[in-house]
Amino acid sequence: MTTPLAAAPMFDLERVLASIDTMAAQRPVAAQIVSVANSEQASAAELSHVLSADVALAGRVMKLANSAFYGMRGRVTSLQFAVTVIGFATVRTMATVALTDLDDESRLPEDFWQLSTTVALAASTLAPRFAERPQDALCQGLLAQMGVALLHHNDPEGYAELWAGHRSFTGRRTAEVQQYGISALRLTSVALEQWGFPPDMVTPLKQVDDLGSFAGALLRAAFEVGARLTDDDHEEQNITALTCGQLRERDVQPILSQVRTDAEELRSALLG
Amino acid sequence: MAARAPVVGEQPSPEVVAAVFHGVSVSSSSAILVVERAGRVARVGWSNEKAVAVLGYAQEDLRALPVDQLLPALQGGELRLLLRRERAVVMTLPVRCASGESLECSVSAVPAPGGRRWTLRLAATSNEQERALRATADAHERRFATLTERSPVPTLLSEQGMRLAHVNDAFCALAGQQAEELLGTGWLDVVHPEDLDEVIEQATAVLLGGEDGSEGEAQARLVRPDGTELTTVIRFAHLFTPGVGAGFVGTIEDITERLAFEARLAHQANHDPLTGLPNRTLLADHVTTWFVPGTGGLACIFLDLDNFKVVNDSLGHAAGDELLVEVAARLRATVRPGDLVARFGGDEFVVVCQQVSEADAVALAERIGTQLRRPVRLGGVDLRPQASVGVTVQTAEHQAAEELIRDCDIAMYQAKTGGKGRITVLDSDARAQARDKLRLVAELRSAIERREITLMYQPIFDAVVGTATSVESLARWQHAERGSISPGVFVPLAEESGLVAALGLLVLDETCRQLAEWDRELGAAAPRRAHVNVSALQLDGNLHDHVASALRRHRLSADRLSIEITESALMKDPASAREVLQALRDLGCQISIDDFGTGYSSLAYLRHLPVDCLKVDRSFVAELADGHAEITSAVIALAHNLGLCTVAEGVETPAQARLLAELGATYLQGFSLAAPLAAAEATAWFAAAGQR
Repeated sequence: MTTPLAAAPMFDLERVLASIDTMAAQRPVAAQIVSVANSEQASAAELSHVLSADVALAGRVMKLANSAFYGMRGRVTSLQFAVTVIGFATVRTMATVALTDLDDESRLPEDFWQLSTTVALAASTLAPRFAERPQDALCQGLLAQMGVALLHHNDPEGYAELWAGHRSFTGRRTAEVQQYGISALRLTSVALEQWGFPPDMVTPLKQVDDLGSFAGALLRAAFEVGARLTDDDHEEQNITALTCGQLRERDVQPILSQVRTDAEELRSALLG
Repeated sequence: MAARAPVVGEQPSPEVVAAVFHGVSVSSSSAILVVERAGRVARVGWSNEKAVAVLGYAQEDLRALPVDQLLPALQGGELRLLLRRERAVVMTLPVRCASGESLECSVSAVPAPGGRRWTLRLAATSNEQERALRATADAHERRFATLTERSPVPTLLSEQGMRLAHVNDAFCALAGQQAEELLGTGWLDVVHPEDLDEVIEQATAVLLGGEDGSEGEAQARLVRPDGTELTTVIRFAHLFTPGVGAGFVGTIEDITERLAFEARLAHQANHDPLTGLPNRTLLADHVTTWFVPGTGGLACIFLDLDNFKVVNDSLGHAAGDELLVEVAARLRATVRPGDLVARFGGDEFVVVCQQVSEADAVALAERIGTQLRRPVRLGGVDLRPQASVGVTVQTAEHQAAEELIRDCDIAMYQAKTGGKGRITVLDSDARAQARDKLRLVAELRSAIERREITLMYQPIFDAVVGTATSVESLARWQHAERGSISPGVFVPLAEESGLVAALGLLVLDETCRQLAEWDRELGAAAPRRAHVNVSALQLDGNLHDHVASALRRHRLSADRLSIEITESALMKDPASAREVLQALRDLGCQISIDDFGTGYSSLAYLRHLPVDCLKVDRSFVAELADGHAEITSAVIALAHNLGLCTVAEGVETPAQARLLAELGATYLQGFSLAAPLAAAEATAWFAAAGQR
């Protein structure tokens, strides 16, 4: 008698996609911030006015603005100034983090934020070499793994097993596609696109696995730096090949210790 | 039957649906595809003309085309992201055209009821105009980046908030760090901790923007990794990027060298270049800063090197300078920390101490004296420098800082005149005397300026004929409070305080004026000549011009004046005196030697000096009364032999007058003949004499 095949995992992508729709309804202020911050006409006054309706989120924005990460040393006393200090993109990112429960570490895989802040800081630090704005790159790095949270929410046990079993970013993405038919990164891009994030934020997420795509090069480099800092077993990739020739190995070395130092601080400022 | 109005939620009639589809199919604005899912594959079931035109497929090729071929970016099961059953989805995706090219499109998928069919609307994400605008914007950004990158001006750029997005090479070079270390908030680590608050304050004010806050400036020190500090001015300007928020551009000016240069200039302005000690200006500032009227404890020690001129004259100025440098070094090494050592000028130094008693100050002065006396070898000669030292400690009487230094100066002069190498503490009597003298000098200056110095005129008589032929102008000062002040007091005072030239000019001018007035009033009865005394200090190249000018001003001939110079003044520098007197003689003036016989004239010189007259000193004339006529007769004989005339001064009695006439004196002057007269009295006297 042959052993019956294990049942295919029951994973309903439709349900995950539907949850993206309902998240906005659960945190209307955060959703409104995401929308307002995308507008070209948005002012710090307008954004802080909307933000003030969500006390918890406003508190985090104030805390981040006063953190050592921004060098302000407790000088930021108004919400509007806090918005100015950390920038619209970061406010939008924090709202998105709140929207997707990314600020609840108990509902995320272990060391999720350590990886995310490391990737984000690597992206931010390397951004000028790719003619990108560091602050935007930071946000992109912070949000890149939002899809992980979505998958984890929907399949906590299954995803935790996948997370533990595949340490490398690329390995995880491959496993995610095999298990769920979609990678977490791709899921992130769908969510961000759905919430009206600009194409500049979404396109790199879509093209990160296309080695020929320059748009995805910064994020690839950030993932590589993140892997080097967080995964002891990581086999280093050729950074020049990963970045369409934009970086050389010697460009990476100076930022490694800096990123490692700042990552914990950023995580603490973001999550409290 | 009347047509019923459609109700919301009611299924439209087949005609309405047909009309809508027809409209869509012929629309030229949007590419529309209808997609149907059959099993696991979704295929194009229908397309409009626009879709055919945009995608380049033939209508029949487009039909039944698998959607995953049309949208290759959606791999694996990702087509489900687009084709949702419950909601419309919009995604930006590359759409593959028949030519194989990808066209970036905004793809919106609207599900039809039933869950197996979707309408896809394709809209190219950017048209040519948008692409051109973006290219222009990108070009602007690149130009800006290139400009700042290559600019020699150190520049910081933040597009959002406080974290830095960009630093140029010039800033990296200035800070001595790599861009990676400075980006984010790393640049704040370079700022000196004491200046950080100001930098952040200015940057935040600029971030907040507004009319007043669009620009800001902070002076801040930057600390380089090797510990060196640069002083800079950071200028912030507000930067706003739509959709991104507020940032700033910071440009940095390194003013380290400029400040150092200014400091050098300030140091040079306040320090003596030879010894490096503070100069008089800084000394005055220092004493003013620490001087609090009505208190004590501030002391000044004034030193003047003894015999410094001898060192300069014998060993040369280089040795003199060397000595000054050595003295400066010894002073610095001897005083207490916090005491100020200044070079007052020449060979004079001042030490200022705080919180000391008189005994402490004197002890310090003695210590300085001991140190100064240590041998120093200059030009192969061993010297033991010594100084005359004046010490003054502030008392309640000192009203201003300069009084303290002035008292100290007085004390030093007392030390000097009391014998060199001494230390003198200025006592209250000496201070009072010195101040009184200073006051008198000020009053004398004022009296000269206001022409309050008046002249008396004493007639001089022809010894043979007995008539008055000339006068001697005698300066008099009637002080409003002190009464008459003797010329024996105020003339030396004028010489000491540099007022003698002005006094001399006053006497010369007034004498000439009076002579001219007498000429007008008295005619032939007017004195023929006036004798004017000249100080040794006036005996220079200017005297001729002054005399000529006074004569010209009052239209007098030069022979109306006799310039009197004392024998001792003449002998100080006979060679130059000869030149000056010769010039006056050439002008036509007579030259007389006053007080002849009291000094030490070289008779050999006398023969060569351009002199017309010798005035026999009154002391010799007085001896006549005692029967001693030897000197007087010798002087008169000497003058006679040299072809000079004589004026015997101090003739007190008619007997003296007779005897002097017998001895051959040419002219006589004295109280018994005529006392000095005020101008009006003299006028009346000469008028009366003329009538006799």
